[in-house]
Amino acid sequence: MRIRIFVLTFMVGLTGAPLFAADDASMGKDLKATIVLQGMPCDSVMDAKRNADSDYTVSCKDGNRYHVFVNAQGRVVVQKL
Amino acid sequence: MRLSMIAACFAVLLVSSCTSTRTASTSAPPTGVQVPAPSDTAAQTIRPEPAAPPPPAAAPPAASSATSATAAKSKSAAEHPTKQAGEAAPPRPSPAAAATSKSPAPPTLNLADLEQRLRDTRAIGVFTKLSLKNQVDDLLNEFRTLYKGADKHPTAEMRQQYDLLLLKVLSLLQDGDPSLAAAISSSREAIWGILSDPDKFAKI
Repeated sequence: MRIRIFVLTFMVGLTGAPLFAADDASMGKDLKATIVLQGMPCDSVMDAKRNADSDYTVSCKDGNRYHVFVNAQGRVVVQKL
Repeated sequence: MRLSMIAACFAVLLVSSCTSTRTASTSAPPTGVQVPAPSDTAAQTIRPEPAAPPPPAAAPPAASSATSATAAKSKSAAEHPTKQAGEAAPPRPSPAAAATSKSPAPPTLNLADLEQRLRDTRAIGVFTKLSLKNQVDDLLNEFRTLYKGADKHPTAEMRQQYDLLLLKVLSLLQDGDPSLAAAISSSREAIWGILSDPDKFAKI
């Protein structure tokens, strides 16, 4: 019984995931473009953790990690971690 | 027990059918629109929107210049049919070259419209737009500094920086908003004309 419920829950999660993935994909694309615009390498964004408003920690597929944020002067800053 | 199982199965079917219809509706591009295969669903949902409305002001000059060019070409061909048909040997390219060089009218530049379209486009994300704006501001500050000095001629490095910045914008736009990319690309020299002229630059 518990296994069935677990399987059903897993299936619901699996099929419902694309519904919520669109925003993440566009955000990942935006962050990747921002990183590349600053001349730093990032082939694709694996994970983006939101620290605050306009403040992200980004992990790229090639292993690079970046802190992307907007500073007090309104400039986008990309720091390699 | 069974009821709960049936309800759970129903929920699974409902959710999976929703996702399948959504992906089916978005993954299959309309047959009339020539769009390159997009990479993700977000871009798919966004992409048709900018392509659907006709570009308001900046694109028509390019199109009109292209049509005027073809019209002028056909007109010149109609005016001088004997030249094209009979004379192949005597090299007289000067009238035809003059006609073709005259025909493409310089595209009218509407900076405010281009700026608004860049602000509104969904092909570039917010972070990327802000980053681009920073780089544009840096270049504008370089021009301001230049025009404060004695030598008011932009350096080759500034032109290179301008070209690079425009390339970045075009590469970001070419898939998501091709009409805006074309409008910016056709305005490249006109924008540089404003930037490199101290009087015109002071007015912006």
